[in-house]
Amino acid sequence: MQSDSKEWVLDAETEYRFELDPGASLAIKLVHGQAEVFGAELAEGKTYLFGSECKAAIFTWQGCTLEVTGHASTEYVSDETPMAAYANLHIAFEQMRVRALRVVHGSPASDDDSDANAEPPRVLVLGPDNSGKTTICKILTNYAVRAGQNWSPMLVNVDPSEGGWAVPGAISAAPVQSPLPTASPANPLGSAATSAPTALSSNALVPLSYWYGHPEIKRNPLLLDRLIRNLGENVRDRFDGDPEAHTSGLIVDTPSSFASGPTSGASTDSRHSLIKACVDAFKINVILVVGHEKLNVEMQRLYGSRLTVLKIPKSGGVVELDLPYRERVHNYQLHTYMYGQKIDPPPGISSAILGGEAVTDLILSPSSSIISFNDLTLYRIGAESMAPSSALPIGAARTVSEMQPVLVDPASSGSGLLNAVLALIAPFNPDEAERYDEEILDLNVIGFLVITNIDIPNRKMTILSPNQGSFAGKTAVVGSFEWQE
Amino acid sequence: MSLYPQTHAFGQPTYPAPTYPQPGPPAYPYQQTPAPPPPVYYVDPNTFRRDYAARLAQLTINSRPIIQTLSMVAQEYSRWADIVVQCLEAHIRRVPPYMKLPSFYLLDAISKNVYDPYARHFAPFVVPLFLETYQQVDQTTRSKMEEMLLTWRTGAPTGKELFGFITQIAIERGVWGGDPGVADISKAQVLSELEFTLSQKERAVQANAWDHESRKHVEVLQQLRSLVEAGVSQDELRQILAQLRSLSQSTAPPAPAPAPAPPTYPQPSSSSYSYPSQPSYPARPSFVPPVVHHSQPQSYQYQSTDQPKSEPVDLSSLLSTSSSPAASTSTSTAPSNIAGLFSALLKAGIVSATGTPVGAGDTAKAEDNTPQPTSQGREASRAYRKAILGQKIKLTNADITRKRPSIVHFMYERLSVQCKQCGIRFSDDALGKKDMESHLDMHFRQNRKANQNIGRGHSRSWFVGLEDWVHDSSTDYKGKGRADGSRPLNAKASAAAEAANREAELRAQFVVVPQGDEAKTISCPICKETLKSEFLEDDEEWVWKNAVKKDDRIFHATCHSEALTSVQSLAVRLRNEATGRSRSGTPEASSSRASPPKEAAALRTSISPTSESKRAGLKRKVDDYSSSDVTAKNDNDGTPPMKKLALAA
Ligand SMILES: [Zn+2]
Ligand SMILES: [Zn+2]
Repeated sequence: MQSDSKEWVLDAETEYRFELDPGASLAIKLVHGQAEVFGAELAEGKTYLFGSECKAAIFTWQGCTLEVTGHASTEYVSDETPMAAYANLHIAFEQMRVRALRVVHGSPASDDDSDANAEPPRVLVLGPDNSGKTTICKILTNYAVRAGQNWSPMLVNVDPSEGGWAVPGAISAAPVQSPLPTASPANPLGSAATSAPTALSSNALVPLSYWYGHPEIKRNPLLLDRLIRNLGENVRDRFDGDPEAHTSGLIVDTPSSFASGPTSGASTDSRHSLIKACVDAFKINVILVVGHEKLNVEMQRLYGSRLTVLKIPKSGGVVELDLPYRERVHNYQLHTYMYGQKIDPPPGISSAILGGEAVTDLILSPSSSIISFNDLTLYRIGAESMAPSSALPIGAARTVSEMQPVLVDPASSGSGLLNAVLALIAPFNPDEAERYDEEILDLNVIGFLVITNIDIPNRKMTILSPNQGSFAGKTAVVGSFEWQE
Repeated sequence: MSLYPQTHAFGQPTYPAPTYPQPGPPAYPYQQTPAPPPPVYYVDPNTFRRDYAARLAQLTINSRPIIQTLSMVAQEYSRWADIVVQCLEAHIRRVPPYMKLPSFYLLDAISKNVYDPYARHFAPFVVPLFLETYQQVDQTTRSKMEEMLLTWRTGAPTGKELFGFITQIAIERGVWGGDPGVADISKAQVLSELEFTLSQKERAVQANAWDHESRKHVEVLQQLRSLVEAGVSQDELRQILAQLRSLSQSTAPPAPAPAPAPPTYPQPSSSSYSYPSQPSYPARPSFVPPVVHHSQPQSYQYQSTDQPKSEPVDLSSLLSTSSSPAASTSTSTAPSNIAGLFSALLKAGIVSATGTPVGAGDTAKAEDNTPQPTSQGREASRAYRKAILGQKIKLTNADITRKRPSIVHFMYERLSVQCKQCGIRFSDDALGKKDMESHLDMHFRQNRKANQNIGRGHSRSWFVGLEDWVHDSSTDYKGKGRADGSRPLNAKASAAAEAANREAELRAQFVVVPQGDEAKTISCPICKETLKSEFLEDDEEWVWKNAVKKDDRIFHATCHSEALTSVQSLAVRLRNEATGRSRSGTPEASSSRASPPKEAAALRTSISPTSESKRAGLKRKVDDYSSSDVTAKNDNDGTPPMKKLALAA
């Protein structure tokens, strides 16, 4: 064993928690027993790498021995975890799935199960900041794909500050077929597909993504509402075309701002209307409220009569995350989207697995090209200097300007385009007759670009794009995210 | 000033655009070295000879830029082909053994990329040159040369032998000894041909994730490899070899520009292009069943009888018996081969007694479009349902927070077999074993691909389009496959990134405008649009962007490439049609419903085809055609089938 390796012996139903400083990495090897990281089981004898300020926990149902190399700023073992409750949830959801599948297959119901409804679980997870919502979504998803039943649950992320498989500012949905690995906060839900061969399909996910463009939901709640409904409609279409796939159900991760805020006024209205947008769009039948009594009561009152609202415990391992940390995570995410993932192992570790893959397979080469201003049509949604709608009197007619696509001229000084993150969107309807004013709001994202230089005299700009594919003649939408390497 | 097209992609020169689909393995493992200086303009042959020889002298290591440059110069100065050929032969003979392989790669590149007149210039001496070199080099180099030799079989633009049949067979005999028909066949030869066919099929799968047929072949070929490695009889080696050749032939891309020709009816194999008599082979009928040729279009005649080895596939039809009984009418050409190989496979446990290739089961299942899981799967999911519903737990706050979950039972005990690579678990029953097997295959393929891709840049794919995402019904969903095996849409996204990279490379190609022609407008013969010229400030010359010169005509590089691809995919579809196979299982499934034990039926048909089975084959062709039309919409490139037909016409 290396000199700076430590062995941790965990009792059944305890977890080893750790937090990493910027630049630090940790290597964890399961020496003996069984262990899982947020629901994804570790293979015995393999070394797993963690980095980019990762804060995570290795849990064991039956006890295990871990060998940990590297320096964690915080590390301890806790025997107080909500895992039993999460496991119960999983089993209850499995019951819903097998019933739904039975109906799709047309098999008769057994005697002990005649009264149950046969809808698959369509779960909305709500909770305030730092309640571990994303982790719960991940654990429930991982348990489903580990059940050995070939489930492929749809994981939906409508938290634009998190970004899911895309970059912050986007909301997305992706079917998951293999356990989601944990290595870094840059890709907490697995990775979108690359040209590299991967061992886990969760490192080659195929998301459907829409671009909201801002971290805060209050910036343009009407737009977010519309995008959520677009996402939901396409998920439903997909399920309609494949009823078996539907039986795996879906799990929706939400922004914390859905859960917390003033109890009355315009922002409460927009909060409630966004929750309602999710419930409608994804035909939610279970709402999980994580560690928030008041919200639980609120949801019971609003939805208790027509769907199941449950309060579930939050993990004591959840760490308070401050704003600078969140901004650093946004940087990690954009970097990972373009360049892939690279975590240098701690000294003494020569071979390791990163997010379930060989370390070398995760490095990507983006493409940088100089294009003319005319090669890309740029829009911003809503007037730039617009006050947040919460500042407006209730019912004030700002709809038009909030949803208005505004052409952005890179040549105008102060366009704010340098370092801007752009969402490249799908082509407009080729049939002119089918086009409409706000079509751009309903087009999904194809990829993300960053403007790394603007040369106004020569009307040219330098664009960083994830691959060498051409984007000339396409349309992109600017948000409020910027990124510099 | 440079006189030939150069390509610029990411600062590295790329291989000259192939002027026809490359049948051989793609790039060699070149070492990266700085590109040599641009060539000068030669006015007299002596200067050219001196300069070319000098440049050749730099080819001491396997350097892609040098090979590329030398190949492009050879293309540009094909009027002095004899000089190039003399220089190269002299160079290969002179350099020490460790330097010979790169020179052969150059010979290979020039012959394949330029082809005429080089291939016929090399043909007279390539046999002794190859064999003498082969004697001098080490084992690693030998296997690389064998690999190259195998690509020469289909290296000509027509898909035939690069240097002609006689030359090819002469080298092969020199390398592997004897004639494959009469003399002993070495295990090494079979293995190296196996590897070659396997790599062809793997590329087919990479290029087209929906190609279940090739996917299945890959799995069975891998099994076959372990069988051969374990040791089989001389007779079996011979059978396997024969099957491999026809299988590999069926993968070779067709000619790029099919010339309209009258339908050539199969002639008795009496041409000079023929293997010597092969007593150990079952007597080959002197005709290919006419039904095959009726359905083949004129443009697809190159696979005709002057090349007896290229008769329609047998191994593949054997391999596809699980999903397509009586797969190919051509099975009648070598019944005892099939029976023999089949029993060999059976003996080795590669196929089960019911005729389903072990390990190919999942793919076969994926081809089965019916949503019903197998009865085995049904039973397992019924048992799971019972166990899960037996858990007394309700979605209430009390139950969720207070109950003791039996999660260990469901997550660990029920799934006692674990993948040591990634930790994914499987049940300890027949179904779980099969899933585990496919899962390990997936790891194997992935590792192999990763090793092949070392040093090659990867990039994030664009997200798929909305329509593809919504209608992605072929991914492995509940009941349709395994948890983590084939995943077409992921592969599709990857393929899209590759395609984007390819397109960028094509667009970066240009042709220098000849002096005095700057004012001339020329248009692309394919799309009829004017080629845009542009002044390159760095090189101080006018060029046509996105352009490629072929036969003295200038095309859009993208149009030209697309046209080639279209011809290719059209031919593939026609081939599917002609051999009565398609990757969609539906027509087979429906036509097989009448004869319940379909595997048995398949075997029987292939051994002694009756007139009924021939009729059935005919009928199915009609089904297949419509089904391949439908499935073609799912092709990677997203080009509607109609467009391809139009382009190919
Ligand atoms: Zn595995
Ligand atoms: Zn053109």
